[in-house]
Amino acid sequence: MLLKSLRGLFALLVLPFVLTMGLGLSTSALAVDDQTSQQMANTNDADLWRAVQSGDSGYTTKKGVDSGVLINVSAIEGTEIKNQYLTPAMALAVLGVFGAFVVFYFVNGPSKLSKGYSGKMVLRWSKADLWIHWVLAISCLGLIFTGINIMLGKHILQPYVGEGIWAGLIYGSKTIHDYVGPVFILSWILCVVKWMPLQTFKMYDLKWFLVVGGYINFGPFKGKHPDSGFANAGEKMWFWTLTLFGLFISVSGMMLVLPGLDLPREASFAALLIHAISAIIIIAFTIVHIWMATVLSEGGMECMKSGYCDENWAVQHHNLWYDEIKANGTLEYKD
Amino acid sequence: MAVMKFLCDTKRCIECNGCVTACKNENDSALEWGIQRRRVVTINDGEPGEASISVACMHCTDAPCQAVCPANCFYKTEDGLTLHNKDTCIGCGYCLYACPFGAPQFPKKGAFGSRGKMDKCTFCAGGPEETHSDAERQKYGSNRLAEGKLPMCAELCATKSLLAGDADIVSSIYRERIAARGNPNAIWGYTPKTGA
Repeated sequence: MLLKSLRGLFALLVLPFVLTMGLGLSTSALAVDDQTSQQMANTNDADLWRAVQSGDSGYTTKKGVDSGVLINVSAIEGTEIKNQYLTPAMALAVLGVFGAFVVFYFVNGPSKLSKGYSGKMVLRWSKADLWIHWVLAISCLGLIFTGINIMLGKHILQPYVGEGIWAGLIYGSKTIHDYVGPVFILSWILCVVKWMPLQTFKMYDLKWFLVVGGYINFGPFKGKHPDSGFANAGEKMWFWTLTLFGLFISVSGMMLVLPGLDLPREASFAALLIHAISAIIIIAFTIVHIWMATVLSEGGMECMKSGYCDENWAVQHHNLWYDEIKANGTLEYKD
Repeated sequence: MAVMKFLCDTKRCIECNGCVTACKNENDSALEWGIQRRRVVTINDGEPGEASISVACMHCTDAPCQAVCPANCFYKTEDGLTLHNKDTCIGCGYCLYACPFGAPQFPKKGAFGSRGKMDKCTFCAGGPEETHSDAERQKYGSNRLAEGKLPMCAELCATKSLLAGDADIVSSIYRERIAARGNPNAIWGYTPKTGA
């Protein structure tokens, strides 16, 4: 009984002791653990925020792409590239190229047909070609004007119109830009596929560049008429530029216009920058292209009006093509 | 002139998402389904060194959204807030790409850019419409600032982790906490010179 009670007493005395010891030990162990983890956390704080700043993502209940990303690293950089380089570059492309061409035109004068008009019209473009060209041209011009308003409008237009008019103009520009885009893409695909065989570079194209296409009316280049096939080297350059940057602008445009794709913001911003760069290049070339066709090259515009060109124009500007169709009998005169 | 700022004390934020709910409720009239102006992100979730931070529009002084917007619909208020005009917004999404914090929200994801008008935190300061008008409430939500109150998210924060108000006052509150806590680097890029 005593033993039993002693044992009981022992148990009563020792158990709490052991328990306290154990608990004490475990708390001290916990404390050590806590300390190390806290130290880790402290030393990791800088790393943590560095990771956040470099775009690491965490957990969030918010649904959607990139919701867990606290800092979007590309944002500031992209904005700076767009505002500091691309917007001025666009202004330069529009005004600079246009202005340079005006100056060139007044200094140099148009490229006249050296033998005048023959009156005999040679078939150059089919009806399908004309359609492709004009659908592409009109959609492209629509995109250019609305696009220029989207990129430069807030600098060159908004200060001079009322708030409501500006809101209407910019919303209209964006809406037209969005819906004309697919028309451009379709006609661009047809243009690239149908006209590519005519646009391969040949050796004589190098010589074309050496005499600047024969459009210069003074100095050593005066009166030169370099060889060229169906398309001259300048036209080929325009074609391949439009092919390459047309691809970039179409793909990036689709990335921007379809929010359902749920692209990461970096990809969207990259698309925006690629879209702008491509637009700058295409616009610069378009201005040159329109100037060449309308005022610089006498008789050039007729090709895209009726599909026929003057025989003398063909001989002067596309001699190899003219010789070829004359030789193989595919030359077709207008009735 | 005040410069209004948010600051989230990551040592206090417990990721309760109360701020998100408070914001959503307060600005309900302007928020379409699926839009939340504020979110809580937890870094190192479930690991040592876990930190939660509540984010919405930070009302940048030199705001990239304003710089990139083709419609120029953003404006700065005299309280240093970056607000926007939904009537001018064209829903292009550029501000979302340019925002470092992912603040701009779009109600729709339709093809051909029908994202709808951008929505973001207004610091509970409404918009360009007449103060406390129906139009303001429908487009931008509440305007507590005009009543002399601070944003609902910060006012309802249970741990007083999310601070909102004049930058000087917010930072002095935070500096006091840091001094008491002796814990530098609690938010990134902010290393107060306190204690020895």
